[in-house]
Amino acid sequence: MHLTAYAVLLAGLLLSLFSAAWAARSAWQDSGEGLRPVELGSYGAAGCVIASSVILLAALMTRDYSFQYVYENVDETLSFMYTITGFWGGRAGSLLFWELIITVSGVLFSLSPRYRALGDRTKLYFWVFFLMFQAFFLLLLTCWSNPFIKLTPTPLDGRGLNPLLRNPGMIFHPPLLFLGFAGYTVPACAALAAYIAGEPKSWVKLTRNWSILAWVFLTAGIVLGGWWSYMELGWGGYWAWDPVENASLIPWFAGTAFLHTAVIEARRGALQRTNVVLISMTLLLCVFSTYLTRSGVIESLHTFGKSAVALPLVIGMVAQAVLTVMVVLFGEKHVTRSLSDLNSRQGLLVACAWFLLALGLVVTLGTMWPVISQLWSTQSVGLGPDFYNRVTLPFLSLLVLMFAVCPWLGWKSGIRDMRGFVAVIVIFVLSAGAFWFMGYHKPLAVFSAASAVAAIATVVLLFLLSSATRKNFTAWGQYGIHLGVAMLALGIAFSGPYKVETEAVLGKGETVRLGGFDFTYIDHVQDETKEFSARLTARLAVKKDGEPLAVMHPEKRIYRSYPGQQFAEVSVVPSLGDELYATVLGITEDGKVSFQISVNPLVNWVWIGGTVMCVMGLALFRRGRGGV
Amino acid sequence: MAKKNSKAVYLAAVLLFLGGFGYLIYSGLSEDSVYFLNVNEALAAEEGVLQQARLFGKVAMDNVDPNGGVGVAFDLVDKMKPGQAIRVDYKGSVPDTFKPGVEVIVEGRMDPSAKVFKAKTLVTKCPSKYKEQSEEMEEKA
Repeated sequence: MHLTAYAVLLAGLLLSLFSAAWAARSAWQDSGEGLRPVELGSYGAAGCVIASSVILLAALMTRDYSFQYVYENVDETLSFMYTITGFWGGRAGSLLFWELIITVSGVLFSLSPRYRALGDRTKLYFWVFFLMFQAFFLLLLTCWSNPFIKLTPTPLDGRGLNPLLRNPGMIFHPPLLFLGFAGYTVPACAALAAYIAGEPKSWVKLTRNWSILAWVFLTAGIVLGGWWSYMELGWGGYWAWDPVENASLIPWFAGTAFLHTAVIEARRGALQRTNVVLISMTLLLCVFSTYLTRSGVIESLHTFGKSAVALPLVIGMVAQAVLTVMVVLFGEKHVTRSLSDLNSRQGLLVACAWFLLALGLVVTLGTMWPVISQLWSTQSVGLGPDFYNRVTLPFLSLLVLMFAVCPWLGWKSGIRDMRGFVAVIVIFVLSAGAFWFMGYHKPLAVFSAASAVAAIATVVLLFLLSSATRKNFTAWGQYGIHLGVAMLALGIAFSGPYKVETEAVLGKGETVRLGGFDFTYIDHVQDETKEFSARLTARLAVKKDGEPLAVMHPEKRIYRSYPGQQFAEVSVVPSLGDELYATVLGITEDGKVSFQISVNPLVNWVWIGGTVMCVMGLALFRRGRGGV
Repeated sequence: MAKKNSKAVYLAAVLLFLGGFGYLIYSGLSEDSVYFLNVNEALAAEEGVLQQARLFGKVAMDNVDPNGGVGVAFDLVDKMKPGQAIRVDYKGSVPDTFKPGVEVIVEGRMDPSAKVFKAKTLVTKCPSKYKEQSEEMEEKA
């Protein structure tokens, strides 16, 4: 079975390569007749990838430990659901999952009316790029990251999934990210193809759903990752600017910048070359993200560890960058139109894209700083979370304020709607004053919060004042996403700087006071279950102003499959205002329990905003040919 | 005319943006940068370097002290040269995966008088399933 699965992967690689070569030959000779064999070849390759994925999934579900990959990611105690998530829980499997989504997205795109609207030459070039990208991943899988290595003799039990990954958030977080990454393959390859072939139809419009869907998946994956970190890791935060977190954020910045410049191309026909570069760069950064998490180039707490795919990934990225530059330089001439004034909607969209790209660059440089600094320093120098917060937060807040202003400007120049513009500025100033008056005196937090309130006001006013906006489905999507961004900004503005936390060692009946709440340790129980060899559940009574509010049950667990290692289970009292958060740190010899307790203001708005962004993003979907 | 004007505005905006951004990056780099050191490098480093540093190493098998329940004190040993160690004193929540023998990353400053590294943050590297592989890689390299 191992050999079969590997052979099928190898066949997929050869089919992709031959089809890509055939597509290149046909495109060169400008013969549309070559198209059908190429399409069939890509379906064949997709079939191979699907078949090998099914074999791996079946091996995981039947716990066939003769597969090294299964042995490393599954064990007897693991529930059925988590045997499936093992598919993307490890290094080789997640790479196969990436590849699976790439090939399936290629097939789905080729069956859509939008693909059929393209010219034959564009289609051929599309397959050249797409199949090369697909073959690159198959090459990594067959040469350096083979998920089908056989173990002899077959072990009786596996090593199991890391308990930190046994969380509902972890079922969806990785596949969402990979769906986002792979989702950019179709628009990026279509962009390069359309540019090189001089396609008269707009690839931006034709692949619009793909770039939106990829963005929604990527956003959802990042937000869910933050939620997982907050609920499962038990350190009380959701974003630590860890290299792995940054790795997913960098392509998000590029993808988001593209969404904004794409609007300009779709509406005004400008920025065509920029958009090709941006979408290709987004895909490139998705590969870079994979590189960061797998190469071991940056020390981080949860990378996959050093691996042999690092060098091939670098070569692949360089090749893609060179290809993109060549396409943009030597592609067929297009009509170019110049941009309007900066004080227009178009101008602000461009400025927004610049901001996002600059933020992406800073996060990239910051993440790579330990490597870069070695160029002039014998000791490697890295950057902590303070660096990122200092540089990115002011600009992210400014972006939110720009959005509050932007819809009141005309497309070409000047203010379109004075009422709304003035109202939003007044709301911004008033809310900043109100926050200051309420005792929030950190300038950046007040600025961000007031910008967020102004942005929310903008969305509300737009829908109140204009019936055309209310009837426009696209407007619901666009402004809905920004409403989500504003809520998220509000959550970050308060939950970051105004969080209070403490560590306390409490005996029975002792109380600690934090942020206006009284936490009293009542008692604890110890038990064991099928899954845990030991579990300690502490009870913590919470009072506010003398009134009982809730009882929290933070736990400390030892999993049977991970003896000698303790895992904390967080307990929260959820709230849209102050969320209470407690973990058990340990128990002392005289029976006292040490807790970490924090009060996180408005933290749930981060998740609400993130959810709104993703759900409203789906409203941007177009059916049929989408106005082409 | 309008076009020229718009170019000037764009240019001014870009300069303003770069200025603000540059200032933030510059101040961030000068104040928030941290030396990344292995234990043996930290032992050889000058005192100034250790005022703000991130150390990479392994938790020694013995001498782990729970620090009264709200932290941990332990010997951080070099990954390659097990003979070299620094005493680390950490207050705060100890990660679940912390135990003797695991790889940890601590950030903080050296207290030169007590010869103890006062850590503000402590993170453990995930118990790597790929440890054998990564060790193989290191041997090859």
